[in-house]
Amino acid sequence: MVEIVEGCRLPVLRKNQENEDEWPLAEILSVKEVSARKLYYVHYIDFNKRLDEWVTSDRLDMKKLQFPKKEAKTPTKNGLPGSRPSSPEREVQNGTARRLIPSQPGRKRKANCGGTDEDSQDSSDGIPSAPRMTGSLVSDRSHDDIVTRMKNIECIELGRHRLKPWYFSPYPQELTALPILYLCEFCLKYLKSLKCLQRHLTKCNLRHPPGNEIYRKGTISFFEIDGRKNKTYSQNLCLIAKCFLDHKTLYYDTDPFLFYVMTEYDPKGFHIVGYFSKEKESTEDYNVACILTLPPYQRRGYGKLLIEFSYELSKVEGKTGTPEKPLSDLGLLSYRSYWSQTILEILMGLKPDNGERPQITINEISEITSVKKEDVISTLQYLNLINYYKGQYILTLSEDIVDGHERAMHKRHLRIDPKCLHFTPKDWSKRGKW
Amino acid sequence: MSKLSFRARALDAARPLPVYRRAELPQLTDCGFISRAVPQMPSGMDKDEELEHHLQRAMSAQQVFRERKENMVIPVPEAESNSTYYDRLYKGQVKVPKQLIHVQPLSLDLEQPDYDMDSEDETLLNRLNRKMDMKPLQFEIMVDRLEKASTHQEVSLAEAKRLLNEDDYLLKSVYDYWLRKRRNRCLIFQVKQENRDGSTNHHAYVAFRRRTEKMTTRKNRKNDEASYEKMLRLRREFSRTVTILEMIKKREKSKRELLHLTLEVVEKRYQLSDFNGDVLKTVALPLEEKAVYCAPVNVNNSSRHKTNVKAKMQKNQVSMREELTFDPTRPKNRCTKWERLFPPQRFPGRLPRAESIYRADVNQYDFHSSGEDEGNSTMVAQTPPTSDDENYPDGVFIFRRTDGCLYLSPRWDGGHVDIQPLHERHFLTKLSLSPDWMGLSRRRTGRGGRILLDRASCSLDSLLNQLDTYPGSWTRSRTVYPNEPVDLDQKLLMNSSSIPSLSQALKNIQTLRRCCFRPRPIQNQRITDSRTAGPSVEDRRFLDTPGSAGGITEEQYYSHQQQLMKMKKQQLEQLQYNEAMSRATAPLDHQRNQSHRSPESTSRTLDSVSAHFAASAVVSTSPSAQDALRPPKTTGVPNCPGASRSSYSTSSSVSGVGLLSIPKQQSQVGAVYPTHHHNIRPSAPPPSALKLATLAAKVIPVSGLPRDIDEPDRQLNGLSENTQPMEVT
Repeated sequence: MVEIVEGCRLPVLRKNQENEDEWPLAEILSVKEVSARKLYYVHYIDFNKRLDEWVTSDRLDMKKLQFPKKEAKTPTKNGLPGSRPSSPEREVQNGTARRLIPSQPGRKRKANCGGTDEDSQDSSDGIPSAPRMTGSLVSDRSHDDIVTRMKNIECIELGRHRLKPWYFSPYPQELTALPILYLCEFCLKYLKSLKCLQRHLTKCNLRHPPGNEIYRKGTISFFEIDGRKNKTYSQNLCLIAKCFLDHKTLYYDTDPFLFYVMTEYDPKGFHIVGYFSKEKESTEDYNVACILTLPPYQRRGYGKLLIEFSYELSKVEGKTGTPEKPLSDLGLLSYRSYWSQTILEILMGLKPDNGERPQITINEISEITSVKKEDVISTLQYLNLINYYKGQYILTLSEDIVDGHERAMHKRHLRIDPKCLHFTPKDWSKRGKW
Repeated sequence: MSKLSFRARALDAARPLPVYRRAELPQLTDCGFISRAVPQMPSGMDKDEELEHHLQRAMSAQQVFRERKENMVIPVPEAESNSTYYDRLYKGQVKVPKQLIHVQPLSLDLEQPDYDMDSEDETLLNRLNRKMDMKPLQFEIMVDRLEKASTHQEVSLAEAKRLLNEDDYLLKSVYDYWLRKRRNRCLIFQVKQENRDGSTNHHAYVAFRRRTEKMTTRKNRKNDEASYEKMLRLRREFSRTVTILEMIKKREKSKRELLHLTLEVVEKRYQLSDFNGDVLKTVALPLEEKAVYCAPVNVNNSSRHKTNVKAKMQKNQVSMREELTFDPTRPKNRCTKWERLFPPQRFPGRLPRAESIYRADVNQYDFHSSGEDEGNSTMVAQTPPTSDDENYPDGVFIFRRTDGCLYLSPRWDGGHVDIQPLHERHFLTKLSLSPDWMGLSRRRTGRGGRILLDRASCSLDSLLNQLDTYPGSWTRSRTVYPNEPVDLDQKLLMNSSSIPSLSQALKNIQTLRRCCFRPRPIQNQRITDSRTAGPSVEDRRFLDTPGSAGGITEEQYYSHQQQLMKMKKQQLEQLQYNEAMSRATAPLDHQRNQSHRSPESTSRTLDSVSAHFAASAVVSTSPSAQDALRPPKTTGVPNCPGASRSSYSTSSSVSGVGLLSIPKQQSQVGAVYPTHHHNIRPSAPPPSALKLATLAAKVIPVSGLPRDIDEPDRQLNGLSENTQPMEVT
């Protein structure tokens, strides 16, 4: 039997959402032996990393095994076997998808596996350098090594929930071998066992995030936490957030960030639902650094609520803002959805002005919504609203868009009430420190 | 399509876009083509991930259906929310406060141990608890401390003992257990820290690295530093404030107590009907003495302050006099500058201008006696203000009361202070040292332990001087030479009748000063009729103790002795002849000098007046010229450059000081050399003497030979020369 090593590619069995068997191509990232059984860590090509998993050998289609090319075996700069996933060259047939692909249609990717991604990243300098110090996300992934590409925590227990992490998170290495990592629901401290958590809870009297509540409506509250003043909590929050955010970097400390934690109240306390972080001073109009709805609360409108809240803050500040890039797939979908709904809400709310046809500038939309101009344009394009008619650009609202919007808004119950927001922006540049 | 050959304008964000419904524009079919003119906006996603299968699928689904379909969402790893033990774990309920939750920025958090006990620890704890009682928290605190104390190396048992204040058995058990369990790895798990050397720059598990200084700009860091320092200062000042307030509290308490006690005393006295204070006196008898010196001290505090102010007022003038001795050509304003740079206190060897207590001081300090010498105090009041600066010539050596010292008020024998027979104070003394001398003198200990010999001249001096020539023929005796006491007031009256008012005032001052010369209790000074060359203290001699012998050589001492001798002789001789005349001319002399006469005029005066007054006049020009306010009676001797300049105190300077402080000196210290002295130089007026005079008059000496005023020997010579011409003329 041939030995399967890191870098090999082969179809691996997985169940899709319809619970049907699929055999997508996958890359072996790691091999380990647990109780005399070999386990393979696979990354499904063209699937998000969060679906990577350990599989037994019986799920591997050995017949279609592709060995890595020579170069793939050359170690990366970090001394670890480089194994960046890269999509095979492909044609994008879907017309709608084409529009989304940025202006690099002919971008060639290495068909073979392994090797560092040379075309997309400027890793040619060869000297690993510390990542940029602004922002919270890494777009440059040339420093990714195999360790960070693999999930290291099997399961996290947080309050009532058990979460399966999606990505690597730098919790203390001693804790990564545990089947379950226990987190205090309120202070987010990580503990190795239930007993420890029990003991911890006798000492921890927090029942809400350790910051000021700046918004409350119904059971939803927002707490503002200063990454400098409350380091422990901020770091713990980042650690768990990293489990679900691929591009988030924990390279630097949390000092320049504010954390807005959204909680839902029940008699047990204020339970964390999601959060977003925000740079105290952003040079690039970012009003959100990282944003996350914890998996148990996903697909219930909390993400949009978080986004809405972030724009409400920007409105108070009198600025337009945009989320820090890169967006994740879910992030993009959420933001698109929010932007679409927000803009359509405005457009449909425009009334004819003494017989004149209603009209609006992009800048006006941006000012009203605090959504950055570029995001407004991209949303209008995405919704296919911009048309050229009689020598000028116009916005046209098609029936399906209007219908879809109305249906979506009908389902959107959770909204931010600006009246419940008690927020005074601080001028951090004048403080001299974060 | 051909219509669209033009190039569409770029989308202008500032341009209004009309909003249409699709239904309103049926002809708009090929708009999709046109819309390509709008530049594509990047999605903002990572390019790799943009192409991911599920995203593409989800996006197409959205495009198609305009809403999410359940099977079109991006799949994520599952999450369960069915914890069965949640309620048991998170006990208690929380009520929502009405107000928004506000966390106090500096809420004092209870210091809880970071270590959380696990089940293994629980087993140990249970085992230990069979023997003793131990709470889990206690155990956690112990482990927490041990953990935090040990970094790479575990703490030793001894250190642990110091760290934990626990029972030995308990400590040992926990320590051993902890050591076994720890096995070189931390029990409190922490996110891996960066190594400062940069070796962990790319370690996957290292997180939350400190940002390098690029993030905090220099300015900000400076601010941090500054504010930190400010905080420190603030802290210091606050603690100081606390101390002060505590002291104030204490003081106020004491005050209150004193008040209460006083009240009590008064009440008690009232009850005892002790209205005249007899009972109090008897009761407070042991305390009375104390009370006596307490009161003057208090008074002294205020008067000393006054004195200081006066001293300050006087400062400039003093400095000018000092200056004179150093650089004769220096202008006045520069003198004051110099004075500021080198205040007189800087010269420890400097002589006190006069160690005397003036009447004014007496009045101020000894209020006990103030009632007794009212007449004198009125005299003080009558003295012109010009005397003020001379009242405090002591500078640093000014008399200050010391706490705890008992200062007795002067004993007045009669109604008049000044009439005190000299013989009570001065004794006939013979010096066994080389300049054999015999005369009236008294011995006292000066400041710094130096022994001073105050010499007094008397009518017997000539006789004594002759006896001097027979060395060894005298033994020390305590023979009293009675002298005729003269009533000062009478003398003053007499003077006022014969001389102008200014001179009378000066005389007054001088008279007063005479009694102020001595340490306070010794108010009495033997004053004889000046016409008969009454004895007066003329000289104070340093007999330096061996330890402080300093720089007085024997020759210097000797030469000085000789000068003194001469002066004494001259005084005696001259005074007898010219008393009346001198009395009349001396004031005139002073007036002239005050009006800045040239040295010639001075010399003419010298010619016309008796030599003994001329001497005093010449020397007195310097101070008077400098400062008209200053009483001109002072002799030139104290201003002798060498005297005050020399590092050691020469006897001449001492004598000068003595003279300065002795009023009426000019009449008594007629500086006429005895003819039989070998030192007489029949030369023309010596340059230095002229120089002194001219300096005072701010005129360059006519025949002044430049002299090195810094040279002490020269000075001494100069001194002798100084007096010489007076005799000649």
